[in-house]
Amino acid sequence: MGGLSLGRLAFLSLVVAIFAFVIAPLLTIVWVSFFSEKILAFPPTGYTVTWYARASEMADFYNGFVMSLKVGVCATLASLAIGVPAALAIERFPFPGRETIRQVLLSPMYVPAIVAGAAVYIYFIELEILTTFQLAATFSGLVIAHTLVALPWTLRLVCASLVSANTVSEEAARSLGANALQTFFYVTLPIIRPGMIAAAMFSFIASFSDLEKSLFLVGPGKTTLPIAILNYLEWSLDPTIAAVATVQILIIGTALIVSDRFVKLGKVF
Amino acid sequence: MSAGGMREDRNWGGSALVLPALVLVAAFLLAPLALILRYSFDKYDPVKLMLGVFSPGNYVLAVADPFYQKVLTTTAGIAALSTVIVMLLAFPVAYYISRLESQRLRGWLIILTMLPLLLGNAVRSAAWMIVMGTKGVANSMMLGAGLIEEPIKILYTQTAVVIALVSVLLPFAIITLQSVMDSIPTSLEEAGQSLGHSPLRTVFGVVLPLAMPGVVAAAAISFALAMNAYATPVLIGGPTIKMMGPAVYDQIAKANNWPFGSTLACILMLATLLLTVLSTRFLSRKYF
Repeated sequence: MGGLSLGRLAFLSLVVAIFAFVIAPLLTIVWVSFFSEKILAFPPTGYTVTWYARASEMADFYNGFVMSLKVGVCATLASLAIGVPAALAIERFPFPGRETIRQVLLSPMYVPAIVAGAAVYIYFIELEILTTFQLAATFSGLVIAHTLVALPWTLRLVCASLVSANTVSEEAARSLGANALQTFFYVTLPIIRPGMIAAAMFSFIASFSDLEKSLFLVGPGKTTLPIAILNYLEWSLDPTIAAVATVQILIIGTALIVSDRFVKLGKVF
Repeated sequence: MSAGGMREDRNWGGSALVLPALVLVAAFLLAPLALILRYSFDKYDPVKLMLGVFSPGNYVLAVADPFYQKVLTTTAGIAALSTVIVMLLAFPVAYYISRLESQRLRGWLIILTMLPLLLGNAVRSAAWMIVMGTKGVANSMMLGAGLIEEPIKILYTQTAVVIALVSVLLPFAIITLQSVMDSIPTSLEEAGQSLGHSPLRTVFGVVLPLAMPGVVAAAAISFALAMNAYATPVLIGGPTIKMMGPAVYDQIAKANNWPFGSTLACILMLATLLLTVLSTRFLSRKYF
């Protein structure tokens, strides 16, 4: 069986080539962020790191970055605050129709982002007309939309860790007289902590990289980083935008590796 | 009996924990979707924006107007082509990952697959623009190698959109296929091999039929995602290639034609819903 036959070699090269196809553009953009010339030319005449400083001085990128960070953190906290109890209800307190409820809570993942973005935008405006309470083009509006982007990730990962953790220790705690809250904080929470950390990471990633849902909801001076990148790309393509993209790749890559430390991603997907 | 009753009460208290999440999804996803479904039957008026009528006129326009016919066929065509290519590429990769013995390598490959997916469309499109531009890496390399005499136009063509979409969809397809292939026991392939079948014949005769639910699900997900793409057609396709996603944005945010924009959004939603139902139908059959 063993040995490297010609067929196996061809199969391996095919797999490597496909991974290269997916990864190569990302490596290229990191490479370009160090080019010394503003006008792209390959191979470059020299290398520099000044584009990173230039990018951080540009108000659109700096403010977009801070905005995405703030929205991402708020949406993550909100999705944990409502997602963990929901996961607990679904996995620990069986009730009729819970599979339907699970699908409803996961639905933000399946509704096309551009459709959901358009619908929420129209809805916000209608609400504003009815109540004079503005949500479109506000920070709160973005956080609400992003909480919905994050919720399915939180639910999936926390549910997965509740399913894989057995209920014996929870039952033991209950039979020894602990009440529901004590059981949750002293027994269940430590068990599902890795799942919660992964959930937080993925929620943050989902919010931080979201483009389509935010598209309708950003306003002047309230733009997220992906939208700032999109707007810039419509006019120019240079090492500055490559530097901004590289920063986003670094942030998301780090979050992904951190979450893999807590939950083996190979088992979640 | 009373103990049972108490337990039931407690269960109901516990299930109430689902309410905040449910309220949020109902208020900020289901209600907005219901609203645009209603608007999709309304009629646009340049002055009053909306007339408050109920007619299927927008749907008739969406399928009868030559411009939107073109948008629909372009979208479906690009989505179909991308899906076929994605399936051809995802199958070997998913098979490779699912048959890896090293958990470590497996974990790293899954991260490598997920990373581009999670970067978001803005960064991914930027990367493809740098690769495919007239002065981009691809052209420079081909010029350098003497394959072409002058730069060829790749960016802002349908080919470019398909290439970029394939890279967007690959991670979804690989992850979906790989999870189905994980559940196919390797003993079946060993049986095929011990009968003297070539590895290729084993894959097509044993693995492919068993992985079929995964193939259908992955294809449905890929097609749905491709149809709904926004950033890729806008940035990689440029102004000449019209797809549904950008059309929804243009109608609602730029033209202020909420009824017609809602109609386009509802058509996308309906197509996606059908494909999702189809894919889950097939996926659930894997536990037979």
